[in-house]
Amino acid sequence: MCEYKISERAYTKLIFHAAKYPHQAVNGLLLADKNSKGSLVEIVDAIPLFHQCLHVTPMAEIALMQIDAYAEREGLVIGGYYAAPENFYDNQLDKAPAAKIADKIQENYKNACFTLIDNKLVTLEHNRPAIQVYGCSNDFGRWSKAKFTLTHSSQTLEGVSLLLKRGAMRDVIDFDNHLDNPENDWTNDFLNKSLNDLQKLY
Amino acid sequence: MSLNYEDMSWSDVRDQFRKWREENGRHSEDVVQLWVAVLEDKLHKTGNERHLILEQVIIAALDTARFDIAAQCTKQLSIEFPGSLRVMKFKAMRYEALEQYEDAEEVLNAIIAKDETNAAPRKRKIAILKACGNRLEAIKELNEYLKKFMSDQEAWHELCSLYLAEAEYGKAAFCMEEVLLHNPHSHLIHQRLAEIRYTMGGVENIETARTYYSQALKLNPQNLRALYGLYLSCSFLANSRAVSSKRKESQKLAQWALEQVSAHTVKLSPIEHNDKLIATLDNAFGSLDIKAN
Repeated sequence: MCEYKISERAYTKLIFHAAKYPHQAVNGLLLADKNSKGSLVEIVDAIPLFHQCLHVTPMAEIALMQIDAYAEREGLVIGGYYAAPENFYDNQLDKAPAAKIADKIQENYKNACFTLIDNKLVTLEHNRPAIQVYGCSNDFGRWSKAKFTLTHSSQTLEGVSLLLKRGAMRDVIDFDNHLDNPENDWTNDFLNKSLNDLQKLY
Repeated sequence: MSLNYEDMSWSDVRDQFRKWREENGRHSEDVVQLWVAVLEDKLHKTGNERHLILEQVIIAALDTARFDIAAQCTKQLSIEFPGSLRVMKFKAMRYEALEQYEDAEEVLNAIIAKDETNAAPRKRKIAILKACGNRLEAIKELNEYLKKFMSDQEAWHELCSLYLAEAEYGKAAFCMEEVLLHNPHSHLIHQRLAEIRYTMGGVENIETARTYYSQALKLNPQNLRALYGLYLSCSFLANSRAVSSKRKESQKLAQWALEQVSAHTVKLSPIEHNDKLIATLDNAFGSLDIKAN
């Protein structure tokens, strides 16, 4: 079973995505470092996918193909899936929407992780990561809880909380936003800064 | 959208609120902030519109857990309209927001007992089932509701979403067709129907999807989802076992759709070399051609 290391960039984007649409389910992809060796997988970035309708496939196919090409270009690989259930209290994996996508990713990248956002833990003062991370223990293709670390854990949580207070999550862009208007950049380049620099923007 | 609260006069806020009501947008945080900052003290100036504004603020306040504001506005309404069922509904919604579902249901049942033709409390009861995570029960109740209130298109839309979450695509498509009957000129509904059909898979469904996508594009040539969808369904059909003339036609249409997507996107997208990312679609789906020929 692998261990996962989640970067502050990936964490910021996925929490922002869930916070931007508090009344809807959201999902997205996690990009891992291609050169992750051994049993430690480094999740470098996150690409928010959808918030409108998670249960139909056409746009998911389009997004996955394009993001796969983007990841390749950046020296990364699609290494996981994240989702936040619509219902506030749902924090079990079987309640996660569109879990099939995670299974498919796992078929292509065996160390993939499935990250579930725990709605209850997303607060303005969150002092522990609001996610659960699951990995696939060999062969069976079943998800089970995995160990993970968040880089610079306490600073990251503090920084994200502060940005949530200032409403920064409204500016995060998902693939749905991009399809509404191609001016919207799903790579969220503006968030690819350190949290300290981001705080100066808001 | 960022609003500069300091520069807005009470009439600006009123107009903004009106706009949001017309668009069916909630914007709860903004509504509450503008209410507190500007409109609360000027409410008497808005004339008869004030009742609508109060209702809007109540819902926004419940969304953002500002129960003090919600209670105060509800009180103002109930002084003007004592015994009104419409105001009673907000009391039930307050219980809902506080997760006191039994109390909420009691109030809602009382409203229904007084006025059987009142749709709103019945829908709130279904919303409670959904909030409790009881999706199957919500579907059952919504079906019962639709037997009585067949022309409620929002309800059909909601039932469609519930069925989709349960992966009941056929039933979801049926609900969406009902919505389409009410809005035959909405490209978004054509597009959603196409997406459902495409997800169901199989040649017949994907042919239907292609038709719906085409109609969506006819109604709005800028719809990127429909362009991508048309591309996907045509690529699928180009690789199916159809007659070769049909396959060629599909292939041409797929090519056209992808060119349109690329043209629309590249013009506006800030993502570096977005056209190359789109071109990878062709490598993946287009490469299937070799096998099929």
